Amino acid sequence: MHLDAWTLALQTVNVLVLVWLLARFLFRPVAALIAERQAAAAKLLDDAAAAKQKAEQDAAEMAARRRDFAAEGERLQAEARDAAEAERARLLALAQAEAEALRAAARTGAAREEAAMRRALEAAARRLALAVAARLLARLPAGATTPALLRSLATDLAALPDEARSGLADASATVEVVSAVPLAEAERAACAAMLAEATGRAPALTFRTDPTLIAGIELYGAHTAVRSSWRADLDRIGQELSLDDEHV
Amino acid sequence: MIGSPLATSAVFHLGPVPVTAPVVVTWVLMAVLAGGGAVLTRRLALRPGPVQAALELVVAAIEDQIRDTMRVAPAPYLPLIGTLFVYIFFANWSSLVPGIEPPTAHIETDAALALIVFAAVIWFGIRARGLSGFAATFAEPTMLMLPLNLLETFTRTFSMLVRLFGNVMSGVFVIGIVLSLVGLLVPVPLMALDLLTGAVQAYIFGVLAMVFIGGAVSGETGPGPQQEAKE
Repeated sequence: MHLDAWTLALQTVNVLVLVWLLARFLFRPVAALIAERQAAAAKLLDDAAAAKQKAEQDAAEMAARRRDFAAEGERLQAEARDAAEAERARLLALAQAEAEALRAAARTGAAREEAAMRRALEAAARRLALAVAARLLARLPAGATTPALLRSLATDLAALPDEARSGLADASATVEVVSAVPLAEAERAACAAMLAEATGRAPALTFRTDPTLIAGIELYGAHTAVRSSWRADLDRIGQELSLDDEHV
Repeated sequence: MIGSPLATSAVFHLGPVPVTAPVVVTWVLMAVLAGGGAVLTRRLALRPGPVQAALELVVAAIEDQIRDTMRVAPAPYLPLIGTLFVYIFFANWSSLVPGIEPPTAHIETDAALALIVFAAVIWFGIRARGLSGFAATFAEPTMLMLPLNLLETFTRTFSMLVRLFGNVMSGVFVIGIVLSLVGLLVPVPLMALDLLTGAVQAYIFGVLAMVFIGGAVSGETGPGPQQEAKE
C-alpha cells in the first residue's frame, strides 16, 4: 500500500485551512446569528412578559380606579339624593307653611266676610223690621194713640233733668209741638197744661204736623227736644240694635 | 478507472512538490465551500430568507448533534466537526461531477482527516483537563488498561481512516468496474447508493470525531453506541 506523503501533508493542511475558512465565513457567523436571534427572542419574550405584567398592572389600576369611580359616583349620588331630599323637605315645609298661611288668611278673610255679611244681613233685617214695625204702626189710627202718647210725653217730661226741663220752657222762646196728625183743641190744651205743669211756666206754643212721626208728639224748645213719637222710638230701637251688633 | 485505487499520480508539480488530483479537487472544494459560505453569510438577517433558513438549519443541526453527543457547549467544536462533515459530504458527492474522483477515495485524504481528529482529541483533551489529567485518562479504569487504551487511541483512528477510505473507494471502484462493463443506465442505482453511502460516511466520521473528542473532554472513553451503528 502506497501512501503519498506530499499528498497527505497537503490534504492535512488543506483541511486545516478549510476548518479555518468555514469557521470564519460560515459556522461562526451563522452560529452568532442564531445566538443573536435567540437573545432577541428571549428579549422579545421578556419584553412581552414585562408588557403583559404592565398591562395586568394597568388593568388592575383601571379596575381599582373604576371601583373608586363607582364608589365616588355612589357617594355623589347619595349626596345628591340627600340634598334633594332635604330640598324637598324644605320646599314641602315651605309649601305647608304657605298653605297654612293661605288657609289662615282664607279663614280670616272668610270670617271677615262672614261678619260683614252677617252685619249687612242684620242691618237689612233691622231696616226690614223697622219698616215692618213702621208699616204696622201706621195702620193704627193716629187719633187713637194720641192720648196714650200724650201720657208717655208727660212721663218723659217728668223724667227730664230740671235744667233740661227749664231750658225747654225758656221765657223768651216758643216751644214747637210736632205731631203726626193735627191735634184737636183739647189735645193742644192738654199739651199746654202738661208743659206748664212740668216747667212751671206757660211758654208760647206753635203746632206743626209731620206724618213721618207715625204717631206721637215731639217738643222742640230752645235748648231741649223731647221726642215721644213712634218714629223716635223706632230710631232709638234701631240705634240700640246697631250698638248691640257692634258689641257682638 | 481501471488503475489501482490506491495509486495517485501527480497532476502537476509545484517545484519539488507533486500536486495530485485529490489535492486539486480539495482546493476546488475549499474555494466553493468557503466562497459559498462567505456569499451566503454576507447578508445575514434576523428574519431569514429561504437560503439563510436552510443554512441555519444545517448549522443548528450540527450544533444539536454536538450538544447531544458530547454533552458540552458546541461552540468550540463546531468549526472542526462541521468542517469534517461538510467537507467529507461534498468530497464524497463530488463524484457527481463527471471525471472527478472523490478526494476521500484516496487514502491520503482520509489519513489526513484521521490525523486531524487524532490531534484534535489530544488538543481538546489537554485543553480541557490539562496534560496530566489527559494522560491520566489512559490509566482508567486501572493502570492495567494503559497499554490497551494507548493502543486503542491509534487503532480507532486507524479504523476511521480505513472505514471512510474503504467505503468511498469501494464505491468508486465498483462504479468504475460497472461503468467499464455496461456504460448506460446500469451504474445509476449504484451511483445513487454511492451518494447515500457518502452521506452516511460523512455523518459517521463526524459522529466518531465527536465521540472521541467528547470522551477526551469529559473522560468517557470508548466510541459509544454510535460506532456500533456504523455501516
